[in-house]
Amino acid sequence: MRNYKNVLVGILCLVLVLIAGCSTTQKSTEKQEDKEKNVNMIFSFKAADLDPHTGFIPIRAGITETLLKLDEKSNIEGWLAEKWETADNQKWVFDIRDDVKFQDGKKLDAESVKQSLERCLKANESLEGSLKIKSMEADGQTLTINTTEPYPALPSELVNPYTSIVNMEAANKDGEEAFKNNPVGTGAFKVKEFKANQFVEVEKNENYWAGEPKLDSAMIKFNEDANVRALALQSKEADVVYNLPAESLDAIKKDNKLNVKSIPGLRAHFVLYNSQSENVKDLKVRQALDLLLDRESVAKDIMLGHGLEANGPFNSTLPFGLDEEVSELNVEKAKSLLTQAGYKENAEGLMEKGGKPLTLELVTYKARPELPLIAQLLQSDASKAGIKINIKTVENADTHLAENKDWDLATYSNNTSPRGDGSYFFNTAFTETGALNVGKINIPELNTLIQELNRTTDLDERTKLTQEAAKVINKEVAHSYAVYPNIIIGMNKRIVNWEPTAEEYYILTHNMDVK
Amino acid sequence: MFTIIKNRVIQLIVVLFILSLFTFTLMKMAPGDPVLTILNADEMVVTEEDQAELRNKLGFDQPLYIQYGRWMLNLMQFDLGKSYMTGKPVVEELLTRLPITAELTFFALTLMLCITVPLGVWSAKYVNRWPDQFSRILALVGASIPSFWLGLILIYFFAFKLGVLPSSGIGSYPQIILPAFTLGFTYAVIYARLLRAGLLQSLSEDYVYAARARGVKEWRILWLHAFRAAILPVLTIFGLSLGSFLGGAVVVEILFSWPGLGSLAIDAILNRDYPVIQGYVLLTGVFVVLANLIVDLSYYVIDPRMKRKEEAL
Repeated sequence: MRNYKNVLVGILCLVLVLIAGCSTTQKSTEKQEDKEKNVNMIFSFKAADLDPHTGFIPIRAGITETLLKLDEKSNIEGWLAEKWETADNQKWVFDIRDDVKFQDGKKLDAESVKQSLERCLKANESLEGSLKIKSMEADGQTLTINTTEPYPALPSELVNPYTSIVNMEAANKDGEEAFKNNPVGTGAFKVKEFKANQFVEVEKNENYWAGEPKLDSAMIKFNEDANVRALALQSKEADVVYNLPAESLDAIKKDNKLNVKSIPGLRAHFVLYNSQSENVKDLKVRQALDLLLDRESVAKDIMLGHGLEANGPFNSTLPFGLDEEVSELNVEKAKSLLTQAGYKENAEGLMEKGGKPLTLELVTYKARPELPLIAQLLQSDASKAGIKINIKTVENADTHLAENKDWDLATYSNNTSPRGDGSYFFNTAFTETGALNVGKINIPELNTLIQELNRTTDLDERTKLTQEAAKVINKEVAHSYAVYPNIIIGMNKRIVNWEPTAEEYYILTHNMDVK
Repeated sequence: MFTIIKNRVIQLIVVLFILSLFTFTLMKMAPGDPVLTILNADEMVVTEEDQAELRNKLGFDQPLYIQYGRWMLNLMQFDLGKSYMTGKPVVEELLTRLPITAELTFFALTLMLCITVPLGVWSAKYVNRWPDQFSRILALVGASIPSFWLGLILIYFFAFKLGVLPSSGIGSYPQIILPAFTLGFTYAVIYARLLRAGLLQSLSEDYVYAARARGVKEWRILWLHAFRAAILPVLTIFGLSLGSFLGGAVVVEILFSWPGLGSLAIDAILNRDYPVIQGYVLLTGVFVVLANLIVDLSYYVIDPRMKRKEEAL
């Protein structure tokens, strides 16, 4: 009998050790909470390092800051640069704030900004094309940037978190590896501990230039599973959780200690048309399809209310969004448009021209689960107007759409206004060389407007041009915009003085506090 | 025994060669490449020229056999290349992730043994009575529950409802329990059935009757005589299913945010990070072949007949 007993005793010991381990850790976190103000967050994307020039976590965790930032309404405002001016859109003068120190005590001046920008250009391949910096001169607190061409979009590009300002002297001294794990920025929080792909723990920077941070420390963990994030919020392990699944919200709302924020995001889900397809080349056919896209149902039934019906490429709540009405589902009008395009209803109720029924191939992909649902909705409404849509689900939509010519339309999703500006989306999705212009859209009127926008500095003028270009896109039905999905954030009610923002850049702030 | 090891090493090289050729071809045949991700086209304006330039730089415009040949040449010099996403050497990426998966697998295996052995023995001892029925139901449940769902249910009860265990993360013992259980449970209950079947068979062997006739105590017969023979088929199946064990680790790692090899592989596949995918497949290949070798060698320890057979030859 001895052997049997040994095994039992062994198992019991193991269980005891595990339970003991359990209770001690929980006690220690409780003790910590008594002493200091601390929040726990879970982000949905993990970080392999904290290099601010290749990842967003440093800016989100309040470690680094950029020269310019976006305000709550997505307007560009000064941050580390107090103000900026240019006479010819090619020579830019930035006044760097005089009262800012890096987290290691070194004063921020134009020279350190210059060194940091040089590092980001070297570390991130995509920045060379987006910043177009030819040369920089530093003099005291004045930084002069010369661009390779007149480039009015520069301020908007300097909002990009990849251009975060870090103390490169510290980085050069500590070495590349140390820098990637503990960048010295100017933000309200500095790195306490970082474990690659697991968590980053930050503590407050007592000498923060905009005022002492209210929180003492924050723990930011990464988890890619939305359901686990929701459960962590419900179990009070996490105070703030990003990107909750819409299905989990009812349970969270029932808990009176928790809050759900659903805020307009910068993304749009839309249908894009292949301008080379014989079927949808005809504007009337595209107009008909646009009328068959039931935006109300997309927002209500597919997004479960967490999205805004779209009226153009940019979220209508943005300063450069359109205030036009959202077009409604109208099967009759769609049918009459098709008739005008030369189609006739045949015996089976299908629209046909020259004996050929109108059959379209719609490409969709599953990486964003709403897109295949939007495709099905369009398929069903189109059939009411006599259009047959065949849905093709592919794994990699970008490649499929770029390499194949036989598709007619596709569901797609894009962040249409990163950094509070529409020029990115126009240049990437509508110009001849744009990487995401898979439908080979080429509208001369739109091209002229985009070129003009690329040359314009004045903010009001830019807004006007952006809206005009958006109207041309709608008029020509180059895309059919369906919905702007919301960003869904769950938070514990103990968090005060904090509101999530649409661009998802500035998450941990010096004002965030706990009750 | 040494012939076995020698044969296995040759086998390993052949297996790895075929494996790498297959993954390389499949990977390249799958639509898409990492260029748009590297250039961050989701947020930055990227032109077709930029893409072509990067494809050229990475050698994607070369014929497939040249790309494979180049990779193979580097491999001969023990260079697996660099990850497209992080720029770090693949070997470094794999080595930082390996201990995490190893820890998870170790605890999952331990937990599995803690369930399999008692459950298997118990149900063999009380054949067709309630312990046996209970283990049968568990096996059915274990075989039909997908691990991501089991994991979520466990988190729901233990982290949310009872609040006794953390929902995810890594670094302390409580954080190991749920992922290890999620990974180990499915296999544990199925292996328990295998063990039961093996035990029932060996309990009806002549040597067991002989032992009983000699008056050897029942527990001794069960644990020393029957168990030793019954564990062999379980070990064989275990060696074979090690691959799916590692596959299961992928889901568990994502769910419980354990940044191990599995989550590395998923990220690499989604981003078409070819060097990392190749490195992962090679490492897994080595691992599976080695584990099977260990299983084979363990036969010699457990079953003395094997040794005698070899000596007779």
